[in-house]
Amino acid sequence: MAVVSAPRDVSAPPVVPTRSPAPRRRRAGAARRRAGMLMVAPAFLHALIWIGIPVIAAFVLSFTHYDVLTQPRFNGIQNYVDALTDPVFRRGMLNTLVYAFFTVPVAMGIALLIALMLDTQLRARALFRTAVFIPQVTATIAVALVWLWIYDPRNGLLNAVLGFFGIPAQNWLSSTTWAMPSVIVVGIWQGIGLKMLIYLAALQSLPKDVYEAASVDGASKTRQFFSITLPLLKPATFFVFVTSVISAFQAFDLIYILTDGGPANTTTMMTYEIYKSAFREFRVGYACAQSIILFVFLLLLTLANRRLNGGDSGRH
Amino acid sequence: MEFSRRSFLTAMGLGTAAAVAGCATTSPSGSSAADPTGPVEGDITFLCALFEGATGKETLEGKLIKQFNEKYPDVNVTVDYTDYGSLNEKITTGLASGLMPDVVTLGVGWIPPFAFKNAIAPLPESLATRYTYEERVLEPSRFDGKLYALPMVLDTRIVAYRKDFFEEAGLTGTPKNWDELRDYAKQLTVKDGGKTTRVGFDPFSIDLRQCWETFLFGNSGELFSTDGREVLFDSPEGVASLQLFLDMMADGSADFALTTEAGQPTTLQQGTSAIMMTNNSLYVQLQQQSPELVDKIGTFVLGNTNPAMLQGGTMVSQSATSKHPAAARAFVEYMGSPDAVLVASEQRGSVPAISDLKDSDYVKGNPMVEFAITNLDKARSEGGTPAWMEIREKIKPTLETAIVGQQSAQAAIDQLAGIANDAIARL
Repeated sequence: MAVVSAPRDVSAPPVVPTRSPAPRRRRAGAARRRAGMLMVAPAFLHALIWIGIPVIAAFVLSFTHYDVLTQPRFNGIQNYVDALTDPVFRRGMLNTLVYAFFTVPVAMGIALLIALMLDTQLRARALFRTAVFIPQVTATIAVALVWLWIYDPRNGLLNAVLGFFGIPAQNWLSSTTWAMPSVIVVGIWQGIGLKMLIYLAALQSLPKDVYEAASVDGASKTRQFFSITLPLLKPATFFVFVTSVISAFQAFDLIYILTDGGPANTTTMMTYEIYKSAFREFRVGYACAQSIILFVFLLLLTLANRRLNGGDSGRH
Repeated sequence: MEFSRRSFLTAMGLGTAAAVAGCATTSPSGSSAADPTGPVEGDITFLCALFEGATGKETLEGKLIKQFNEKYPDVNVTVDYTDYGSLNEKITTGLASGLMPDVVTLGVGWIPPFAFKNAIAPLPESLATRYTYEERVLEPSRFDGKLYALPMVLDTRIVAYRKDFFEEAGLTGTPKNWDELRDYAKQLTVKDGGKTTRVGFDPFSIDLRQCWETFLFGNSGELFSTDGREVLFDSPEGVASLQLFLDMMADGSADFALTTEAGQPTTLQQGTSAIMMTNNSLYVQLQQQSPELVDKIGTFVLGNTNPAMLQGGTMVSQSATSKHPAAARAFVEYMGSPDAVLVASEQRGSVPAISDLKDSDYVKGNPMVEFAITNLDKARSEGGTPAWMEIREKIKPTLETAIVGQQSAQAAIDQLAGIANDAIARL
């Protein structure tokens, strides 16, 4: 028995459902958004309370005379004028630039070199990696105390070593000539570990086939480094640069322990001046203005770097 | 729930207003002095820059506070230990957060700024006559004619010298003025192959601010006018005091690079200086580090036209916003009593602020403390203006610019006077 089925009308319009899926999708989307917002809410509230409000409060207070002891009094842009005409704060700005100029590129270069060496089948490389990273996780107080001994003019290691070679001893931290270079050396040494770690991670994620192709094409190791490794490390370099600049501009604890900003303000930094204004001189409004100037400095540097590097997307 | 830009900005604005208002409402400005009448009870906090280390903690909590609690069993004292480097920060953050400790230790020169802003409460004048004080000792505790603190320990800056080096150089007696000081220092300086191995005079092993102030007072100069509104240190006496250091460096009898490093024996102990500016606590250091030098080191008060000894120290004061003012007052009174003062002095090798204690075994057994206490009539204190907290931080780095040759003594003093005048104008 043949079963004859009714011919299917392919051109027939689809059955219109009684309820459209679009509102359901919208409802589902709204529910997802609500869920997303709920999940983001703790982080958002944390950022709002501990970062957002203080930042805006600092901005507002920067236009006031506020000494903690009495209520803030609006004084317009006077704090900014005072900060920009204060020879000590200007010296702090210059010192910060000098410190960042030397610590960031030098430490980045050394970190990359060490990362390249540790990205090989070196024996005991885990031990070397740990050794290089240790300064990063050691308390700055401990680091500074060790360096205080190294720099001690009479009983320090550095002068003892120099003395062995007949080089006269120096007063490393009390001399206007040597204090800043001495602080820079410690800053470079301390900053290498984290930079090395980021570079090492980036190196290990580079595609091996590109190097194989380059080898087949006869490219030397040097050529491979400059034509493959460095360009591929661009996103990591951007990240390391930005975080290093910010870190250099926030240098404080080393100065606090090693030199107290001296002698004669030769090692004072912007952050150190901000600290002194707020906590030693009770000029909180003025310190807020100094902080905003530091923020603008960092913002401009980051934007300039982003522009120069074509962003952090890694496109090249 | 959606955040529009407007609602976000509104929330941030409200947050900011709340933050600023929060700062404002915690300010003690305009608050009346805490009322000390009422029952002596409650929990109080004590911000303490004395009694360092485990021994200090045991002394304060195991002995003194226990003794205090025998009289006031309903008062619970919580101690927040700090040092002078962090005391400012603790007070600043305490004030900003509305958690100002009930009782605080303050340094010499700090009373006018805090009293001017009503952060500390005045004390009854009767406490100034409860025990015997040198008027010079009480001076830094007063502001605007009122007593705001009780002095506990004094740290005087004195001149110490090596008797054996003086004897070797054939020098008898100690310098009476700056000309003699320069002459002595030149004779006592030792060079070996062009390199200075011993400076005649080391003024740089104590804080440059305090050293310069000692010489300013010794040259009949003043820091500020009596009302603290006028800068007086930019006088010829002030410039000459700084110039003296430059002159001594120029003739090789003082060296900015040859100073005592933190935690190290002093230059006097190491034999790298023959005369040095120091603190009366040097005696305790000598006993611990160089007992063989105890008899070889002498002290004197130096002046050019007026012998002067700088008197620093630690005072105890009551917060103006204490929730338990009677308990706080009772604790201040106790910490200013001979029992607490003597123990605190012994712990630090300091000079007890109460003159009655000059006959105590501790003072009799410490020649430098005894020397300081018998010369308190020559004591002078820093500060004297409500703008002091701002000015004091600028003195050392500004003076250093002259010491390292970046500018002349006159230019450095002029720069400092400009900073001080601006700070006073902001009051």
